[in-house]
Amino acid sequence: MTQPIAPVFHRVGNRRHEFTLAPDGNRDWHRGRVPGLSRHWLKWRGGYNPKTLQRERRLADKRPLWWLIGLGGLACAAPMLPDTLLQVAVVFCVFAAINVIWTLIIGAAGILSLATMAVVGLAGYAAAAANVYLGVPWPLMFAVGAFVGLVVGGLLALPSTRIDGLYYALLTIGVAEICRVSISQIRALAPQNSSINNVGSFIPQDWYLQRPGLLLGFATAFVLLLLALLLFRVINSERLGLQLQAAREDEDFSEAVGIDYRRARLHVFLISSAALGFVGAYYAMLYRSISLNVFSLDQLLLMFAMIVIGGMGRAEGAVIGTAIVVVIDRALIDLGPLRIILIAAVMIAVTLTTHHGLADVRSQFRGWRHRIRSERRAASTRKGGEVMPEEATEIADKQLIAYRRFDRRLRDRLKEMVTPELIEQHRSAPLGPHSDALARVLNYFRRGEMPDKYAILQEGDAGAWRYSVMALSGEPGKPPRVVDDRVYETRDEAYHAVFLLRVNDLLES
Amino acid sequence: MDAALIVYALNLSAIYALMAIGISLLWSSIGMLNMAHGATFAVAGYGTLVLGNALLPLVEAVFDGWAILPLLKMTVLLLSGVTVGALFGGLIYLLGFLPIHDKANFPVRGMIVTLAINLATVQALLWWFGPRQQALPNVFGFGRLNLFGIPLRYDQAMTIGATVVLLGVVLAWLRLSRKGLEIRAMMQNAEGAALSGISVRRTALPVVAVTGAMAGAAAVLLSQTVYVSPGAGAMPLIKGMIIALLGGLGSVPGAAIAALLVGTLEAVTGAIPFLGQRMVLVVQFGFIITVLIIRPRGIGGLLSETRK
Amino acid sequence: MTLLKITDLSAGYGPLRVLHEINLTVERGERLAIVGLNGHGKTTLFRAITHLVGWQRGSILFDGVEIGGQRSLGEGRKTPGIVRLGVAMTPQGDAIFPGLTVRQHLDCGAWSKQAWRERAKRREAIFDLFPPLRKLENTTVGTLSGGERRMVSVGRALMTEARLYLIDEPSLGLAPVISQRVIAALREIDVKDGAIIIAEQNVTLLDGQVDRMIGMHAGRLRGDVGHVELG
Repeated sequence: MTQPIAPVFHRVGNRRHEFTLAPDGNRDWHRGRVPGLSRHWLKWRGGYNPKTLQRERRLADKRPLWWLIGLGGLACAAPMLPDTLLQVAVVFCVFAAINVIWTLIIGAAGILSLATMAVVGLAGYAAAAANVYLGVPWPLMFAVGAFVGLVVGGLLALPSTRIDGLYYALLTIGVAEICRVSISQIRALAPQNSSINNVGSFIPQDWYLQRPGLLLGFATAFVLLLLALLLFRVINSERLGLQLQAAREDEDFSEAVGIDYRRARLHVFLISSAALGFVGAYYAMLYRSISLNVFSLDQLLLMFAMIVIGGMGRAEGAVIGTAIVVVIDRALIDLGPLRIILIAAVMIAVTLTTHHGLADVRSQFRGWRHRIRSERRAASTRKGGEVMPEEATEIADKQLIAYRRFDRRLRDRLKEMVTPELIEQHRSAPLGPHSDALARVLNYFRRGEMPDKYAILQEGDAGAWRYSVMALSGEPGKPPRVVDDRVYETRDEAYHAVFLLRVNDLLES
Repeated sequence: MDAALIVYALNLSAIYALMAIGISLLWSSIGMLNMAHGATFAVAGYGTLVLGNALLPLVEAVFDGWAILPLLKMTVLLLSGVTVGALFGGLIYLLGFLPIHDKANFPVRGMIVTLAINLATVQALLWWFGPRQQALPNVFGFGRLNLFGIPLRYDQAMTIGATVVLLGVVLAWLRLSRKGLEIRAMMQNAEGAALSGISVRRTALPVVAVTGAMAGAAAVLLSQTVYVSPGAGAMPLIKGMIIALLGGLGSVPGAAIAALLVGTLEAVTGAIPFLGQRMVLVVQFGFIITVLIIRPRGIGGLLSETRK
Repeated sequence: MTLLKITDLSAGYGPLRVLHEINLTVERGERLAIVGLNGHGKTTLFRAITHLVGWQRGSILFDGVEIGGQRSLGEGRKTPGIVRLGVAMTPQGDAIFPGLTVRQHLDCGAWSKQAWRERAKRREAIFDLFPPLRKLENTTVGTLSGGERRMVSVGRALMTEARLYLIDEPSLGLAPVISQRVIAALREIDVKDGAIIIAEQNVTLLDGQVDRMIGMHAGRLRGDVGHVELG
């Protein structure tokens, strides 16, 4: 008595662990849209499982989930953090916001500007000065900051169209230094060591540096980060971003199809500068003061390290890099100068191993895997593999590839069987008896595809038949064509002629 | 403009030229923007300090009373600076060039790695030697010599003279030697160079070492007037970088001319009363931005040879 | 005596495989031509020998030294070493240095110590081989015509004596008269105990100039044609 064997099902495929929903195929599918826009919230894709033929639905872009987990986790954890760590979280949010906007300039617009902190600092100083010396109430400081950012951005943008990327980058390093020197020249600020203190703020005076003040600071910084991410999303994935992406791929072509990419770059630069100015005003309010430290080269290099570690050009890169650097720089404060060395070591390690920073590791790994696989596939292709590797990816039915390979090998074996003796054997007895080899060859011929299969045309009268060879078209309604003008006396001769033609075709293939 | 100003301008120009030509040369030959040039400068300064303190008493003991003693001492200092600079260049080569030179996105990645080296080195120096500024042994004192009626401090004379000699040697090496030919071949067509038996890896090492040595020399020469400190490299780096840009990245003669221009401008700006030393940087930047807007490829654009 | 023995050499670029298990043996003193249409792998074969393709597998035994092997990255990294073993190649498109003069160019080819020492003499020999180059000695190569560039490129390969010369498409893009002159100059090369392999599309040009011809089709060597007289 044998036990019945329970069937075992294995999950197969490239992404067999991917989570999929199994919706009811009979129900209508509703996807939520962002109010006022035609965009969906999440990128759900529906389809059928090719093996089980069941309806399934998968999330094609899981990044929103990661954002939600990361930022949600931060927002939930922050109120429970001790004061020092809460301050680190605030710094992270502010720097992450600056870096996200900076990424917009470097990555989306492709302008390698290192004057970010200069814009932030100038706008912060202007807003603080407006509040302290002109008595502008604090909510209006945002407007002042954004306006100053816009103006400074406009000034910075002027040479950017004329000067090459690298040249521009090195020039903008100097801008911060110029700002520092210029502000340190202002006599009115000299008594306070060139800083402006007692700036009005959204944090009430008596909450400052107290727990409620810190919590309020974190809440606002978090909102600031969300706003920066929203700005990134709105610019990078909408019209302006697409235009700039086209320009990054091919400037001349995008110009030829009517994209004014210089203007788009300028727009992004100006918008980002205004946003940086906004952040500058916020920065001045958050700490109720602003000092020349904003312009220091070390600060700029630290920000650059953040962007570089995360990877230039992507919002997640900016945020990840900021997180790493801020944690090393602010949370491990006991280490002293070793922190910076640690940051530099991380920077070197990341740069040496990844092409475009940490955010790109996944696609770099995939590229590497693809390269290894495609090379291995290409190298292991059978001799004369019938399907070229690049073609193979486009044939949906992989059985076809296997069949062609099989066919090729069969033909190679049959070719070896075709000898003068074999042909002679067929000539003497076209209808058999056949030897094993001849039978195999003939079997292969019989299995051939209908187009260009040969047929024998019998003409004339009984007793004086004439035979000639035709080739079938293989298409209904399309007549066969005459192969050559030879005429054969007997049917056996015609059989043999067809055989010779097929042998010829086989040997030529 | 009086004679002292000219000397001062030449002095500045000489040091800037040493820095800028190093940066420019490295960019044109191996396509790396060396942001660790400032670190090389600082490290060479400290290296000279350590080596000089060890070696100078020895030299004094051996050649006591000789007339050329100051010159010998200077040579020892210069040699130690050059050696340390070249060694540090080797480190930059190992870390910033060798692992990634034929990988994707090398120019940007090379720049980032060297920037990180710069950051780490400055902090390491700060950690090791402390933030205190230290002076190199001043071998010449502050005596002056009168050359055709121009009062010339010894260290200024030494700086200008040594720079001219050093630059002359490097340029002659580039122009005339086989290595120089290989470097130029490599920068014009990497594949053709490989097929001529020129290995990028082997050719790059001497270039990086030589530019490091130039930064080392600049450090020693400048330290005769300015102190050695961990952050000492930042200003020469920025100035050198900007002069290299002004000269048109990659053009050595362009960099030399630009160094002369910027050095003179700095001296003159410093001398004009209502601008003063503090506005030097602003004036320089204004000047450079103006030049770059008029000639986006820098001065070297005027002199450039055909390059594909 | 075998100079070059290639066994099961496959090579390609990424997913594209260009060479399919090539087997080729070159004897010393041989002048060999590989003929075939554009895009059938002649250039890739040369570039695989000098490690300039994307990836490669299979053994290349050059004078008893293994220079092949499995490789999927770092194209060009080993090339200088292979050149220094004695493989001289003139690539398709010439790989010239546009800013150098003809003279500097030729000097670049003199990589061995001895060649560098007697480079003036060798330059003269090249000028004798390609007389038009003599008066262009101090012109930058970037300004030369295609034929002159080809001569410079071949001349650069000849500056140091190699044991294996790989000449890729000597006639490509040249006027017939000039390509004949280039081929004739190749005929002049004294291969001694080395060998020369010429990849060429135009079979008639090679008439009587080589000892052996091998066809190349779709990444495979097809048939040893032997010495052919073409009318």
